[in-house]
Amino acid sequence: MNIKTAFFLAITSIKRGNKGTLAMTILIMTLAYVNLVFIASIFGGIVEAINKEAVDNQYSNIVIEPAIDEKYINNKDAIRQIETIPKIIGVSSHYIDNPIVKYDEHKDNKDVKSSRWILKSINPPDEKKVTKIHESIIEGSFLETTDRNQILIGKEIAGGYGGDLDHLSLGVSVGDEIDVFFNNGINRSYIVKGIFSTKSTQADQMLFITKKEMESILKVHNWASEILVKIEDTGNEDVYIEQIRELGLKKEDIKKWSDLMGFTSGASKSFTMISIILGVIGTVVAGVTIFIIIFVSVVNKRKQIGILKAIGMEEDTIILYFVIQALFYGVVGVVLGVSLILFVIRPFFISNPLDFPVGWVSLKVTFNIIKISNLSLIGAALIGGFFPAYRGAKESILKSIWG
Amino acid sequence: MLISIKDLKKEFVNDEVVTKVLHGISFDIEKGDFISIMGPSGSGKSTLMHILGFLDKPSSGSYHFEGEDASKLEDDKLAEMRSEKIGFVFQAFNLLNRVSALENVMLPLIYTSKTKKERMEKAKHYLTEVGLEHRFGHTPNKLSGGEKQRVAIARALVNEPHIIFADEPTGNLDSKSGIQIMKILEDLNEKGHTIILVTHEKQTAEYAKRIIRLKDGLVVKDFVVNNRNIAKNGDELVK
Repeated sequence: MNIKTAFFLAITSIKRGNKGTLAMTILIMTLAYVNLVFIASIFGGIVEAINKEAVDNQYSNIVIEPAIDEKYINNKDAIRQIETIPKIIGVSSHYIDNPIVKYDEHKDNKDVKSSRWILKSINPPDEKKVTKIHESIIEGSFLETTDRNQILIGKEIAGGYGGDLDHLSLGVSVGDEIDVFFNNGINRSYIVKGIFSTKSTQADQMLFITKKEMESILKVHNWASEILVKIEDTGNEDVYIEQIRELGLKKEDIKKWSDLMGFTSGASKSFTMISIILGVIGTVVAGVTIFIIIFVSVVNKRKQIGILKAIGMEEDTIILYFVIQALFYGVVGVVLGVSLILFVIRPFFISNPLDFPVGWVSLKVTFNIIKISNLSLIGAALIGGFFPAYRGAKESILKSIWG
Repeated sequence: MLISIKDLKKEFVNDEVVTKVLHGISFDIEKGDFISIMGPSGSGKSTLMHILGFLDKPSSGSYHFEGEDASKLEDDKLAEMRSEKIGFVFQAFNLLNRVSALENVMLPLIYTSKTKKERMEKAKHYLTEVGLEHRFGHTPNKLSGGEKQRVAIARALVNEPHIIFADEPTGNLDSKSGIQIMKILEDLNEKGHTIILVTHEKQTAEYAKRIIRLKDGLVVKDFVVNNRNIAKNGDELVK
C-alpha cells in the first residue's frame, strides 16, 4: 500500500472534482453531525432541567428525614452543627403536615373549596439559601421570619395561573384568607402573602408558613420533619452525607436529591435510549450517504481505477484513495459540525432556552457527546467509503478500463 | 530470454458460455526485439498482449518473464511488475483526464523513492523526448490525439521499463501523427527497449523487426520483416 499515492489521488480528486457536489457532501456530513450532537444534547438538556428544578425548588442537594420509627428529627445539636461542615451553603429545617385547606370566598359556607395539600414550615432566611422558591414569586411576596398569620402558596393551589391542577385549586389571590385544618385538630386562618410558580408541578402543590408559626401549632421546638442541605459541589453528596452521619444522625434517613428522582431517572433512561436510536439512525444515514457518494465516484472513475492498476498501482492503494476521500468528508463534516454546535447553536440556545413544562431547556453539549458523535460520523465515513472502494478496486483491470 | 510462452490458452466464461480466444500459443521474445502481433479482429492479439502485460491471466499454459513463472505471482507482485518492468501504450490513450500531462507522466514514479522534484524533472525529460515540452500543464482534453498518445508513451517510458506494450497505438490517430508515434517507438527500440506492438494494420506492423500473425487464437505465421518501414524525420514513411 502506498499512502503517499493514495493521498495524492484523493486530494487531486477533491480539488478538481465538482465543487457543488463537494459542498453538498460536506453540508450533508455537517448536518448529520449536528443532528447527532443536537439530539443527544437536547435530551441531556431536558434531564438537566428536570434535575435543576428538583434541586432548586424541591430537594436541594441532600434531604434528611426522621428515622423510620420517628416522626421528627430531634437531635438539636446535630441539626445545628450541619451548617458548620465546610462547603455547605445552607441548611433549612422543615416541619411537614398535610392539612385540609379551605377557601370560602363569600364567608357563607357556600361554594367552599377545600382539598388536602402539603404544607411546610420554613425559616425564610434559611430557605433562601437552599431553594429558589423566593425567586419564583409571581404575585405578592415571600415570607418574613416574623410572619405568623400569612401563608405562601404554590400556583397549583392558588389556581388561575395555567397550572395542571386548576380543577382542584382554591381560586385565591394575594390578600385572600384561607382556613387550614391541621392533622392535630388545630385550625387557623391565613392571609395569602404570596403565590409562587416554579417549573416543578410538585413544588407548586405546596404551601409554606413560618417555622415559628408551625412550632406554635405542633408544640415542638427546633425539631424537624425534614432538613434540606445545600452544598457547593453538586454531585459530591456522598462525602457530605458521611460527614452529616458523623454528627450523630445515625438512624436518620439521609438521601441525595438524585435518589428521590424516580421519574427523572426513568425519563433519563428513556431519553438516552431514544437518543441512541436516533443517533444510530443518523449515523447509518450518514454512512449510507457516504457510501452512495463514494459508489458514484468509483463508478465514474472505473476507467481511472483500471488505468491506475495497469500502471502498477496496488488494489490497497486504490481502496485507500477512496477511503481518504470519504474520511475527508467525514472529518470536514465533524470540524464544521463542532464549530456550528459550539459557536452558533449552543450559544443561541443558552441565550434563548426552550420553555419546556419541566424547565428552561438548553443544549447540554458534553465532551462525551462530542467524542461519541465524532467517532460515529468518522466511523460511518470509513465504513461507507470502504465497501464501494473495495468493490471497485477488486474489479479486473480490463473490465475497469473497457467496461 | 525476456519472454517465453508455451501452449498458452485463454477462454472466457459468460453466463456459462465458454469462449475460447487463445488455443495454445508458443513463442519466445528476446530483449531488444521489436515485434508486431498482427491479426484480424477476434484473432486474440489484444488478449495475448493483456496476458503478456500482466493485465490478465492465462487459462492454461506457461508464461515466463525474465525466467520467472508469471503464473505463480501474487496480485501485488504483478502490480509491481507492471509498475517497474512494463510500459503500456493504449489505443484509447487511457490518461487521467483531471490531471495535467506532467502529472500523468509523474504518476508511475510516485512508487519510487524519488523526491517530487526528481519525479517532475524525469517526467519533463520524457515529455520533452516525445516533443511535448510546451504541453506540461495541459490536461488531456486540451491535447490532440497525437499529443495524448505521446503523453501515454512518456508515461510508459518514465519508469524505464524493460518492455513496452503498444496496443493499436496509431489506431485513433491521423496518418501524420501515426508516423510520429511509430518514429518514437523506433527510436526507443534503437535505444534498447523491447517493443511489442499489437495492430491489425499491415503497414504499422511492418515497422517491427518480426511479425507474429494470429488467426482464430493460433499463431499462423512468425517471421522476420526483411523490408521494414521506417518513419523518416518523424512524419514521412519510407521503405
